[in-house]
Amino acid sequence: MAMDVVDYEIFGNEMQYVEVELDPGEAAIGEAGAMMMMQDGIQMDTIFGDGSAQQGGLFGKLLGAGKRLVTGESLFTTIFHNEGRSKARVAFAALYPGKIIPVDLSTIGGTLICQKDSFLCAARGVSLGIAFNRKLGVGLFGGEGFIMQKLDGDGLAFVHAGGTLAVKDLAPGETLRVDTGCVVAFQPSVDFDIQYVGKLKSALFGGEGLFFATLRGPGRVWLQSLPLSRLANRIVMAAPAAGGSRRDEGSLLGGLGGLLDGDND
Amino acid sequence: MEAINARLFGPGLPPAGQTCTWQRDSGLISWAEGRTRLPATAGEVRVAGFDLQGIELAWQDARSGAGAQGRWALQVLAAGEAARVRAAPPAGWHEVFAKLAGGRRARRGRLALGWSALLLFLALPLLLVLGFFLLADDLAGWAASRVSVKQEVALGDASFAAMKPRLALRDDGEAAAVLRELGARLTRGSVYTYRFHLVEDKSINAFAVPGGIVVVHSGLLAATRSPEELAGVLAHEVQHVELRHSLKSIMKQLGLSAVWAMASGDLAGAMTGKAAQHMMELKFSRDAEREADSAGLDALLRAGIDPAGMPAFFATLDKAGGAPPALLSTHPASAARREALAARMQAKGSHPFEPLPYRSWPPAL
Repeated sequence: MAMDVVDYEIFGNEMQYVEVELDPGEAAIGEAGAMMMMQDGIQMDTIFGDGSAQQGGLFGKLLGAGKRLVTGESLFTTIFHNEGRSKARVAFAALYPGKIIPVDLSTIGGTLICQKDSFLCAARGVSLGIAFNRKLGVGLFGGEGFIMQKLDGDGLAFVHAGGTLAVKDLAPGETLRVDTGCVVAFQPSVDFDIQYVGKLKSALFGGEGLFFATLRGPGRVWLQSLPLSRLANRIVMAAPAAGGSRRDEGSLLGGLGGLLDGDND
Repeated sequence: MEAINARLFGPGLPPAGQTCTWQRDSGLISWAEGRTRLPATAGEVRVAGFDLQGIELAWQDARSGAGAQGRWALQVLAAGEAARVRAAPPAGWHEVFAKLAGGRRARRGRLALGWSALLLFLALPLLLVLGFFLLADDLAGWAASRVSVKQEVALGDASFAAMKPRLALRDDGEAAAVLRELGARLTRGSVYTYRFHLVEDKSINAFAVPGGIVVVHSGLLAATRSPEELAGVLAHEVQHVELRHSLKSIMKQLGLSAVWAMASGDLAGAMTGKAAQHMMELKFSRDAEREADSAGLDALLRAGIDPAGMPAFFATLDKAGGAPPALLSTHPASAARREALAARMQAKGSHPFEPLPYRSWPPAL
């Protein structure tokens, strides 16, 4: 499989975007809607499936597209070719606050398992697939864990994490217990399982779920501190327009402060 | 000499692992910068990979002592290669591999159990409905046997009271008196207190309400050519009451609508309303009709009335032609039924019967 070797640069701190430099003839695939800007010479093309060389024939393409549908992605990917004679850049922006993780698939064995919809962009030749976990417990209680996205290839891929990123290297046999929503990606060598918290009291009153994910080494795992669902939940809860309760910042004037703060409309 | 592409994790190697080649025969594991050897004494084996198709061999480094630092793990994630390793474990590792296979079987068994429990849970309403359909008659019979005669009479009275406004009752004439007399003769010794009603209605029909109410249309009376024929019809209708056919049928309808409501969640009762409607125009199964026929025949014999009137009336109806009377739509007068009646009469032997003492037939309303 011919992989395009791309150079990249990540800009920003908490709301990042990645700029990918394409040599003439090189290409990158991006998640539909993630493109931010592109320079002269870059042609954009929307294709059915993921554009990797593995998918031969109409049936293969349909299958690939179907898999993308299962993981909640759009049926189409956008491919960006450099048709010009000099290097050109295309930028992809993260869709919510967090960090962009560059992963060189060749250094981790060619495969990365990641959370559905965390994929941002990749060098052409990386194939997007789905990975099923066959453990019954993961299927029933894993939340997002049952069906995950699989990136195959040996080029660069960029995935996106919400909040602050944590990279953990697990030694053989070392385990880490994680909130199920906080897992962004891991190497396939890592064992992923769902474990019952075991304490109903903490599940009901502690605010954590009934289950958490157990990651067992060896291998590397990427964790996010703020899953999008959690952020969205807090925003809706605090938004008066959406039926939430307004929270003041502890003004001495209390309720009166709301009248004086100048943004009454 | 078979070489397998694997990934090695251990002290001094990159934390994301090192791609390596594992020689199956010698146990030599080599990569660009180094080499090591798979120990001949077994470590641990477990299933690896997100799709659980791979295999991991882990062991403790003897030189660096205990602790996570000295642990090595060799992973084969490609399904085909992992299957080959499983089929032919390396020397000294056979025992742990056998244990893993046993665990896999147990896990697969648990998985199958879990799935079948889930499936059963989902299919339960369907099984319930199916079971009810198969056992409906027995269940309805059982339910009907729990209803006392008093309750049945109350039920019959209530439904008759509901029908009454639409019926033109003629209970004071000569014909009604004949009807009562014949009825009394046929129902001697019954636990029910029968009431016979004559209704002025041109259609040829007669029906029984649970609890002992028998209604005869004047049209039917006019169609009979002898008192014996009327007695035959009455005997048949009385047996529907005696054998509690209406009650059983109501039980079946109610039970079916209840099961339907449970299985489909249609608690608003679109079906229940329809079932209530059916109670007014109960239809009996063919078995119930045959049962009423033969029991009616016996009742006629006990009362000393010529049973030939029963099949004769069916023949009269057949000959009448034209649009089938309402009675026929609920009481299919098939040839088979008439033959069964004849056979039963033959078996009972022929007795001399005194003709019924009504000279002018049919009697006036």
